[in-house]
Amino acid sequence: MSDTQTIAVATQATPRKQRGVPSFVYGLILPVTAAALYELAFRMGMVEARLLPAPSRIAETLLKLARSGELSVHIAATLMRIAFGFGLGAVTGVLLGVLTGSSITARRLLDPTLQALRAIPSLAWVPLFILWLGIFEPSKIALIAVGCFFPVYLGVMGSIANIDRKIVEVGRAFRLSRTALARRILLPAILPDTIVALRSGLGLGFMFVVAAEIMGASEGLGYLLVDGQQLGKPDQILASILCFAVLGKLSDWIIVIATRPLLTWQDSFARSE
Amino acid sequence: MLRLAHLNKVYANGACALDDVTIDIEAGEIVTLVGGSGCGKTTLLRLVSGLEHPTSGTVSVDGEAIFAPHPAIGMVFQEARLLPWLTVAQNIGFGLAHLPAGECKDLVEDALLKVGLAGYGTRWPRELSGGQAQRVSILRALVTKPKVLLMDEPFSALDALTRGSLQDHLLALWDAHRPTLVLVTHDVEEAAALADRAIVLQPRPGRVFADIRVELPRPRDRLSQDFAETKRIIMNALDGSLSQPALSKNNAGATAGSWW
Ligand SMILES: Nc1ncnc2c1ncn2[C@@H]1O[C@H](COP(=O)(O)OP(=O)(O)O)[C@@H](O)[C@H]1O
Ligand SMILES: [Mg+2]
Repeated sequence: MSDTQTIAVATQATPRKQRGVPSFVYGLILPVTAAALYELAFRMGMVEARLLPAPSRIAETLLKLARSGELSVHIAATLMRIAFGFGLGAVTGVLLGVLTGSSITARRLLDPTLQALRAIPSLAWVPLFILWLGIFEPSKIALIAVGCFFPVYLGVMGSIANIDRKIVEVGRAFRLSRTALARRILLPAILPDTIVALRSGLGLGFMFVVAAEIMGASEGLGYLLVDGQQLGKPDQILASILCFAVLGKLSDWIIVIATRPLLTWQDSFARSE
Repeated sequence: MLRLAHLNKVYANGACALDDVTIDIEAGEIVTLVGGSGCGKTTLLRLVSGLEHPTSGTVSVDGEAIFAPHPAIGMVFQEARLLPWLTVAQNIGFGLAHLPAGECKDLVEDALLKVGLAGYGTRWPRELSGGQAQRVSILRALVTKPKVLLMDEPFSALDALTRGSLQDHLLALWDAHRPTLVLVTHDVEEAAALADRAIVLQPRPGRVFADIRVELPRPRDRLSQDFAETKRIIMNALDGSLSQPALSKNNAGATAGSWW
């Protein structure tokens, strides 16, 4: 029974495409209405828009940045840092989480140290990373990786601890080898929790990329924030924040969409809406 | 064919679950293990399945000693224990991974048809009722054609009506290949409906209390006098097993006809 077969069956089994309004439209109602109201108030001269520029002004700034090619440079820089940092943190988080989750010896040896490291606010590492790795990319990527690591590590370790012993026994009764047990039972069992862990890891990745870029960068969306503050351009700050919102949501959405075929079997409350 | 010889099981915490249990079961026989809770029924099945090891004594199938799960032995647990990420068909085919996909598919569809679940192959386990899930779990153990099928209170969580219909399904499935069937139950009616032999265990420590032969013809009429009589005999032995601390020799080996 191949995995592709599993997926094919999975996708055809639940025809969940509803007709009518796509659900993301509901999510847009609140922000779009708020923006429209503010724009209206601004046009009617009811607000003084020096510190909170009108949506049209922000859009204009965004457009200008996009036209000059600056925006894509900043976005690419930020995404690159997240990709490397998240990649590094997530891979080590999954590896160590699997290790401590499946071996008691490894857990006794490693987990106390890792928990102690987790208690350190991640930003406290910044001076050390800068001393060790310099002020350029490596220290930023290291900070993001540290931020992504812990939620992934904890999530994967916890998901292994939560595997139903009774279901593992089914594998034993069918005489699965260690690798077959891992592939056919353990992996699918930890998948849902692991995906949630990766999503929260990525969320923290965005948080720490801002921190890293605020502390010193010559490009990136975080740099746009600092630059906007120093030059007194609130429209540029808000444009950058808007980009963060869109990119964060988009990347999370990509994880959700990419993994949905693997999770069709689930019937949690959130999916049955 | 299936031989349990002088099985003892003392758990790590000192609990003595089984004490010198010896049972010989013939090929194709249907044996029900009856007993109050805690008398070692589950332990006994787990020893036979190879999932657990006896403290002393041996289990053998056709002369071959069992130390670990064995292809000749299938197990149905009290809960269906279906894998939630596999469809019904994939669950049933779980032990057939070595077969070509086409062959596996045929076996699975054939099996589903036999228990009245044709067309359920693409469903998810969560979409099944308790009775349907347990049928799927029985099929999962049976499609590999084991010589011995072990079942631990497979119908105890179901309502009486569903239970009765599943017992009939089970007998039909059993009839196709006639595996040796060892089924744990605490339901006297179930024991009388299925058993060639009803073995009553007594608790603390778990021992064989009575070994009752049931010689009613199949299909059994549950309303007949003989059936009621068989139930009464098993019930009596069960009562005895719960009140009497020591094994009384004259109980062992009684048959339904000669009990009184
Ligand atoms: N894993 C275990 N560890 C320690 N004691 C156990 C374990 N499993 C069962 N026992 C003990 O062994 C006895 C028999 O249990 P079990 O085989 O589950 O009985 P039954 O299935 O007949 O209710 C009980 O006294 C129970 O407490
Ligand atoms: Mg039990």
